[in-house]
Amino acid sequence: MENILEQIANCVDKGKINRSVPYPPEMKGQPGVDELTLQALELNFPPSEILSKGLIAGMERIGTKFRENRVFVPQVLMSAKAMNCGMMHLKKFFVDGTVAHKGKLIIGTVEGDLHDIGKNLVSMIAEGNGYEIIDLGVDVPATKFIEALQDHPSAFVGMSALLTTTMANMAVINQTIKQAFPEVITFVGGAPLNREFAQKIGADHYTDGPQEMVEILDKLTINNAS
Amino acid sequence: MMEIKSWMEQIIQSPDRYAIPVMTHPGIEMLGYSVREAVQNGEVHARAIKALSDKYPSKASTVIMDLTVEAEAFGCDISFPEEDMPHISGKLVDASTVERLKVPSLAAGRIPQYLKANRLAAGMIDTRPVLAGVIGPFSLAGRLFGMSEIMTGCYLETGAVELLLEKCTQFILSYATALKQESGCAGIVIAEPAAGLLSNDDCLQFSSRYVKRIIESVQDEQFMVVLHNCGNRGHCTDAMIQTGAAAYHFGNAANMTEALAQCPADALVMGNIDPVAVLQMLPPEKVKEKVTQLLEETAPYPNFVLSTGCDVPPHVSPENIRAFYDALAAFNQK
Repeated sequence: MENILEQIANCVDKGKINRSVPYPPEMKGQPGVDELTLQALELNFPPSEILSKGLIAGMERIGTKFRENRVFVPQVLMSAKAMNCGMMHLKKFFVDGTVAHKGKLIIGTVEGDLHDIGKNLVSMIAEGNGYEIIDLGVDVPATKFIEALQDHPSAFVGMSALLTTTMANMAVINQTIKQAFPEVITFVGGAPLNREFAQKIGADHYTDGPQEMVEILDKLTINNAS
Repeated sequence: MMEIKSWMEQIIQSPDRYAIPVMTHPGIEMLGYSVREAVQNGEVHARAIKALSDKYPSKASTVIMDLTVEAEAFGCDISFPEEDMPHISGKLVDASTVERLKVPSLAAGRIPQYLKANRLAAGMIDTRPVLAGVIGPFSLAGRLFGMSEIMTGCYLETGAVELLLEKCTQFILSYATALKQESGCAGIVIAEPAAGLLSNDDCLQFSSRYVKRIIESVQDEQFMVVLHNCGNRGHCTDAMIQTGAAAYHFGNAANMTEALAQCPADALVMGNIDPVAVLQMLPPEKVKEKVTQLLEETAPYPNFVLSTGCDVPPHVSPENIRAFYDALAAFNQK
């Protein structure tokens, strides 16, 4: 029955939520992450293994395919929906400490910008890779990032922008964060951005895709833990 | 004005290269207006386009790429920052309310101002064609349904998404027809960036087959359609071509020579200088280098037209715009 974790990973990868959802068409009528996660818990698989070898493994696969242009935004979002379904069953184990997040990520689209798809993609893939997400939404001013950091001082911060005009707000927010919390590590991303811009405004990292960001987060959390 | 089909053939046959950047903000800035004024007042909008056509040697003029106009006509809430393009707040429909959604008339929202802008611009500019602009059906549907929601809605609520696409197509078609019949513009740019987030197969199903209907209805020897998809990284070029547009416009995420190799030789293929990372952020000499490099790479393709990968944003320096055209002129003199 070790195989069930692989089945969960495969369902996350393919975006198979549960038996009743007819997506993907080739898995119609088959159990999805919902049923398989419950089944794994009933079989007494440790929740941490269901998380790491099932849900996270599946999200890593889809994230890699996305980076390589082998799948596209809708497929990633379907995987994230499937993963979320499994996470619902594991929620109580996060609360009682049986399983732990790798770290926390405060994320938001910067003030003046209402675009959310890039931010949502990053949130979902980071969550699927074991991070707790504090999603501040869109049009987020510096004060909201600061308030969130006061509640979660060890968190990473991710900022998204799709408009050239709101890139300027990103610079201000990054500066405000760095003044108040110099040790906080910041990430920026969004279609009009590039690495030079990130360096110019003093952000720690620029990534052009969610999987790349997760890989950096993983390295940072491993380094912090060691 | 010559037939647009002959104009296209002349471009392809000419030994010279031409430029058609998607550019209006520098014209708005030249005249001292705000973006808010230009997107709300058709006369200001037209004067900005005219100012650019007087100053720069574009082969055609383009209007503001405003992807909120059609959504506003449907009833979306729009905010109008002073110096930025309008934004849509929230979403208008979900799967349960799509059926009740009414296709608006052309009197709704700012559509009359945009029709006026196009009509005035086409009347003022007699040296080159003016290309109007409309949003693509999938990009419009995404604005009404929520962009994240429509991505999964394609699989989970296919019927509702297809009904919404049908309504969007009906509206865009009536708008495009009015632009063709009443404005004097020589064509339209259909901006369909959200379709670039889809796979080629999904792009065919949820975008191209609707775009194709619009093109089949309005495109002829006097009126061309340019299909713009700056979200395409090269993976859905085939779906774009299936629409039968007269011209294809690529963003900076696409490889221009690969796109040219894939597109029909009798279609204009436009792109793809990065409007932010190059035009806005680099110094003029680097802009020249980037433009020259693109012109050299695309030299084997007579149907290439130099353009920007998307709309030139506000606050691009005039020196950089001049560098863009200077690089083109220098290339043509070689």
